[in-house]
Amino acid sequence: MRSFSYVDAYSVEEAVSALGRFGAKARINAGGTDLMGLLKDEYLPTYPEVLVNVKNIPGLDSVSEEGELLRIGALARLSELGRSPLLLERYPALAEAAYAVASPQIRNVATLAGNLCQDVRCAYYRYPAQVGGAIGCARKHNGPCLAVKGDNRYHAIMGGRKCFAVCPSDTAVALAAFDASLTVIGPHGEHSIPIADFYTPLAHRLKHGELVIRIEVPAVSLPHQRFFKFALRRPIDFAIVSVAVVASVEDGVCSDVRIALGAIAPGPVRATEAEEFLRGKPINDETASAASELALGGVKPLGRNGYKVAIAKSLVKRGLLGEGGNLLKE
Amino acid sequence: MTVTRKRKSLKRAGENRVRFLVNGNRVDLGIGEEEHQVGYSETLAETLRERLGLTGTKVTCDNGACGTCTVLMDGKAVLSCMTLTVECGGKNITTIEGLRHPETGALDPIQQAFIDEGAFQCGFCTPGIIMSAKALLLENGAPTEHEVKEALSGNFCRCITHYQVVRAVLAAAPGGK
Repeated sequence: MRSFSYVDAYSVEEAVSALGRFGAKARINAGGTDLMGLLKDEYLPTYPEVLVNVKNIPGLDSVSEEGELLRIGALARLSELGRSPLLLERYPALAEAAYAVASPQIRNVATLAGNLCQDVRCAYYRYPAQVGGAIGCARKHNGPCLAVKGDNRYHAIMGGRKCFAVCPSDTAVALAAFDASLTVIGPHGEHSIPIADFYTPLAHRLKHGELVIRIEVPAVSLPHQRFFKFALRRPIDFAIVSVAVVASVEDGVCSDVRIALGAIAPGPVRATEAEEFLRGKPINDETASAASELALGGVKPLGRNGYKVAIAKSLVKRGLLGEGGNLLKE
Repeated sequence: MTVTRKRKSLKRAGENRVRFLVNGNRVDLGIGEEEHQVGYSETLAETLRERLGLTGTKVTCDNGACGTCTVLMDGKAVLSCMTLTVECGGKNITTIEGLRHPETGALDPIQQAFIDEGAFQCGFCTPGIIMSAKALLLENGAPTEHEVKEALSGNFCRCITHYQVVRAVLAAAPGGK
């Protein structure tokens, strides 16, 4: 790795001040598992000059339910979230999503905010500088998107614009189903960004100088929850498609449901039409099939990623029906 | 005495240092860009292999995907190729070299089980797999086969020794069958 300088922040104030001082030259380092990829492969036109280490800020990894809100500290590690008794009992889809990320070694250090803010996995975008030079692209503002005419098997089937890379985060999908929001702090104080608005086709909305400090999830009483991720190899690989289904079923009838799809667009996608359709209906093969069609209604696949539509539909169905039967009736 | 005095003067000069344990031994390294110092960009894998001579920890992909560089940090499996050495201050690192008994030199039961079960072919991924297995057994003395597979899911072996590996880990589990 090329050299950089380094600042240890021991409080949120210190981190914000360091990030403000160095601006675009600084990168936040928490778990570091995504950042190391950037530092080793040098795929961006500019190399970070300073790392601001935030992993030693105390109290930023707590998980607590306060009144109507679940608050998860930005530094909460994915391994802890995957086995948190609170999440497993009340937010199992989020625990499942955290557990679905990467490998045990990576989950031991990777943080929730890092999982949400990680860079996209487009192979053109991340092409390493050491192997013939990094590739310019729309996301880097220095060229066209090569995925449009090239290998776009793992790219967006909806919502792409200029850049067609997908949001690689698994936890973002579960959090989208829970209508979560990110609390961001910067030089001008705190503000909240709904997860639905956090991702845009060319970048996520965390600006230079800002830091995610926690994720807030409104308390829900939607006891039937499921998260499914389809990947080529289950460990390590990023999702081809993932889905979170969070529902409440009373007397066989769905009273409320939320369906979020991941890795098909620049951000997690809520299938609002399908949700609307299912409310007040029983969950069975027929309604689940209809909902999966509605969920994927707006897709515009690129040349080589049409297969994702079929996988997404089947994951939505599986999310609603469960594997080997209608688990929502339990 | 001279050495001590020199150390003190260095400390007074405010030299940035990182101190941690590797296999129970204290490691104390200066941070900086000089040859004898650890740079901020140096990974723990590089420090272990090239500075401390602990070449049992292997590096394959150097990108967090293969698990061969797995070491224990405070008892948890982490990837040393994705860890900056300067961030190891105060940590307790265990590598494959630290598993044998410090006095008798006897192999750790997990190492012996790998030999007994023939759980390797080329052996390059073995140190990483053993460290992941060690982390599992520290946390869970009686893992099920499923838990063993989950714990080792971040370690790749291209010789396909997985069946023997799972058997070896189960054999080494004190509470296992």
